[in-house]
Amino acid sequence: MRVLRIDEARALALCEDEGGNRSSVEIALVDARVGATVLVHAGTAIA
Amino acid sequence: MRFVDEFRDPELGRAVAGEILAAVEPGRHYKLMEVCGGHTHSIYKYAIDDVLPANVELVHGPGCPVCVIPMGRVDDGIALAHEPGVIFTCFGDMMRVPGSNGTLLDAKAAGADVRMVYSPLDALRLAKANPDRQVVFFAIGFETTAPSTALTLVRARAEGIENFSVMCNHVTIVPPLRALLESPDLRLDGFIGPGHVATVVGARPFEFIPAHYARPLVIAGFEPLDVLQAILMILRQLGDGRAEVENQYARVVPYEGNLRALEVLSQVFELRPHFEWRGLGFISQSALRLSDAYADLDAEQRFSVPGVRVADPKACQCGEVLKGVIKPWECKVFGSACTPDHAIGTCMVSPEGACAAYYNYGRLMREREAV
Repeated sequence: MRVLRIDEARALALCEDEGGNRSSVEIALVDARVGATVLVHAGTAIA
Repeated sequence: MRFVDEFRDPELGRAVAGEILAAVEPGRHYKLMEVCGGHTHSIYKYAIDDVLPANVELVHGPGCPVCVIPMGRVDDGIALAHEPGVIFTCFGDMMRVPGSNGTLLDAKAAGADVRMVYSPLDALRLAKANPDRQVVFFAIGFETTAPSTALTLVRARAEGIENFSVMCNHVTIVPPLRALLESPDLRLDGFIGPGHVATVVGARPFEFIPAHYARPLVIAGFEPLDVLQAILMILRQLGDGRAEVENQYARVVPYEGNLRALEVLSQVFELRPHFEWRGLGFISQSALRLSDAYADLDAEQRFSVPGVRVADPKACQCGEVLKGVIKPWECKVFGSACTPDHAIGTCMVSPEGACAAYYNYGRLMREREAV
């Protein structure tokens, strides 16, 4: 999923998948930045 | 999309298939296990086995999270869902997994408050929104999904949310692999390693396979070119007489795994002494439970859970499918009494299940001509 926006205080990011679906993703386990692609499992970015 | 489109290139796929054909020794039969249900799904979605030589056989492993949940745990979950005041949450697939007396979906129809969530964080949000209710999350999955549950428990603790708990069914991939390698039923030549589990745990936990069993394992991604390349890498190892852990999925999987994920897993979980796997029986230290530090958020301690043990239906051969001993279409009820709309076995429920993959992609029978 692509990172659209980051809420650093809550360790959450707004992400979008290839179908344009958006969801809130835990990013505590990765160094996410806006525009980056993250691998998300069960709502958590693991890579 | 980056990291996806370039791994679905049909021309490159045909080229790798040609290299695979050149790598096999005529007359030698290769039996390779794809450990992860995600790989099984990709193999049939993209008809990968159609471009393989007939003497390269793909065997489907136990890496489908829904498939390995035993009926007794489903029954325990249903009992919890019927507790007064409980909102019982789980992933969508799990709602259709049969217990001994129906599914969680049946329990919902009978009045239990069972809700589908996409993540444990969704369940935590439900707990915040319903402070007068107890919200239970039925956690399933391998090391890929466990960090999400762990982070949610950490968040629940940090935010002081006390009406949230987890019924933990997380399992670990190495013990069943070891059990399969010790099984006299199955002779395997190599493994397509689980790319997303390896993202979390890294490559090291798989090194016992070449070291102790002299079998190659190649950690692989999930696009068609990933799988084909991994097969080629295994065949080249076999041709060279090598047995190593190699990482085809290097664009995602670091050798050491995700250290932050491993840290949070070690804080929140500990190994169970043993856990029952559907069709595989009890396997030592093959599952996780909440550690003492999080015991107050453990649904099995907060509620009275029956601890039911139920034998699989006699007609269902999910155990043999999960061990790779038979192909889905060899099961007596495959495609007749057992379909995705009316699943008897778990392997027909989840899209990652081998039976569902065969059924959904039209592999109702499979015979290939030898090259």
